[in-house]
Amino acid sequence: MRAARPWLLLLPALVVLGGLFLGGIAMAVARSLGITPTSGLSGFTLDAYRAVLSDQDIGLSLALSLWIAGASTALSALLAVPAALALRRVARGPVTFLFQLNLTIPHLVGAIGILYLFSQSGSFARLAHAFGAIERPGEFPALVHDPAAIGILLTYVWKELPFLGLVVLAQLQSLDRDFEAVARSLGASAWQRFRHVTLPMIAPGLVAASALVFAFTFGAYEVPALLGQNHPQALPVLAWRAFTDVDLDARPEAMALSVLIALVSAGLLWLYLRAFRAAPR
Amino acid sequence: MKIRAAAAATCVVLALAGAARADTADGDALIGRDWDAIVETARGGEVNFFLWGGSDTINRYVSDYLGGVLAEEYDITLNRVGLTDTVEAVNIVNGEVEAGVTDAGSVDLVWINGENFRTMRQGDLAWCGYTATLPNDALVDWSNPAVANDFGVPVDGCEVPWNRAQFAFAHDSATLPEPPRDMGALLDWIRANPGQFTYPAPPDFNGSVFVRHVFYHVAGGADRLLGPFDQALYDEIAPQVWTLLNDLEPSLWREGRTYPTAITQLDQMFANGEVAFTFNYDPAQFGLAVDAGIYPDSVRSYGLTDGTIGNTNYTLIPVNSPNKAAALVLQNLILSAEAQLEKARPEVWGATPGIEISRAAPGIREAFADLPSHPSVVPYDELAAAALPELQAEWIAAIEAGWIENVGR
Repeated sequence: MRAARPWLLLLPALVVLGGLFLGGIAMAVARSLGITPTSGLSGFTLDAYRAVLSDQDIGLSLALSLWIAGASTALSALLAVPAALALRRVARGPVTFLFQLNLTIPHLVGAIGILYLFSQSGSFARLAHAFGAIERPGEFPALVHDPAAIGILLTYVWKELPFLGLVVLAQLQSLDRDFEAVARSLGASAWQRFRHVTLPMIAPGLVAASALVFAFTFGAYEVPALLGQNHPQALPVLAWRAFTDVDLDARPEAMALSVLIALVSAGLLWLYLRAFRAAPR
Repeated sequence: MKIRAAAAATCVVLALAGAARADTADGDALIGRDWDAIVETARGGEVNFFLWGGSDTINRYVSDYLGGVLAEEYDITLNRVGLTDTVEAVNIVNGEVEAGVTDAGSVDLVWINGENFRTMRQGDLAWCGYTATLPNDALVDWSNPAVANDFGVPVDGCEVPWNRAQFAFAHDSATLPEPPRDMGALLDWIRANPGQFTYPAPPDFNGSVFVRHVFYHVAGGADRLLGPFDQALYDEIAPQVWTLLNDLEPSLWREGRTYPTAITQLDQMFANGEVAFTFNYDPAQFGLAVDAGIYPDSVRSYGLTDGTIGNTNYTLIPVNSPNKAAALVLQNLILSAEAQLEKARPEVWGATPGIEISRAAPGIREAFADLPSHPSVVPYDELAAAALPELQAEWIAAIEAGWIENVGR
């Protein structure tokens, strides 16, 4: 009876996860293979995967998605660690509140904000015009709908930096500061203390949280759809386009793309986590 | 498993359908029946109307006016379900039918036309052959090919017209008093004024229509392109179009290295003065944007002397709708001269009627003639003087794919 308890408590969550999440993935895999739930195995085909993989845009889209996810994760993590270290010292209050505040703002709203601020007719362009720096909107540098995906990166860094910062901060606050004090008394410089004492202790949380950020930014649709170029498009945008294609025959391709996104994302995460677990401390 | 899935889906749909009194999924039993009997069957039920929800004025017209009349006169509840793209409703019906939900679907009526209509026909998802049962069907001029064909696909009694629409360009008369009036002049203007024009990348609906105008221009008119898709003709004309559009790129916004991804982005850039033109298949939108303070009062709109493309949009009842009687009552209301008049008022929607006004009662005809016009919206009659037909869906799909392949990348 006692042994069964945790399972009983887990059951509702497992039903939701198993039923909806795994069920959804299973349906996507089935439909990507040409199998519809009611028609059995009759339509099994790999055509959708062939069509998706032979599309010359898929490589560009994959590269763009990797760039968006990789760069925004790395930038957020790079900025989050010093921010958390500083926050630990200046202590809570208004700054921590600022960090927590933007966790409540949806990505879409953030993306619109970035659009209003950074587009060629946005607030900064208007300021530049007021100061005589530019004559026409076209002279303001292209920061949204741009080839380097700067607008998308800005949105993600703005959104994920506080998330990573709070995770690292929570970890820092649970640490025993004696270790750092000992290192200092043994003559370690500030950098040495950070590199050999603090960083290894916050690494597990940072790695896990940045893996979440990577998986999310790699698979998310709305920000690249709103702030991206018409070509190349991020993989999730490509999948959405196939799903809303007027031709019903394109639906299996949308499913195949989604399955590929999930596979690539899962594979990269596995490599990433394995690399960090194997890394010497 | 199959039965359980179907049962579960049915439970969900039944829960959604709630108090629907009579299940009228069997539409063929309604065809040709006495209209009063159909109304009595529908009374007390409800109807789920799925339509693009991006315009507050349209939403108000549907929820308040149509929903109000349905509730008062027929005791029918109208549930308006807003969509960002009609294809979402097509996906719902398609998913339901694939899952075996053939008589308890969640969609009773869709606002639709063009490629989505073709998709519904392709998947046998539309209920057909009932239109003559509607009393107000008499107001529809089915002998007009622009009504009897939806983007070149015969309607075949599978949908009922709602509005007519015709493509128009908008410019700010304060900064550009004399805009180019035909496609050749527009292309010259773009070359002479680099950076001030662009169009949304197909498959955006309006961007796709703009590219079709260039297609017509290169082909020397629409006549050769009408009818079923012709690969040889496409291969003759398409490369010239792609060359023209690629050569135009240095003169476009951002030197054509990228394009807006949606018409809303172009509208926003036009509102901010980044580009000199926007365009729309529904010119009433220009007036609404001016009234909302998004565009300046000096915005004017116009058609091209060599014509702009026009179409008709419709409402359609999916084959698995469980409330077909209520959907018929709503369609008949939508077709009524009174509802079409209300919809034509500029402050309500400003939409062009889908019915033939000359067939309406004299009082209604006068009311239509007395409607005030919005200074920013080109009058429909003026546009209609140079109207071009839409192409068949296969043509449109080929042109969109060709643009993405040859110009967009």
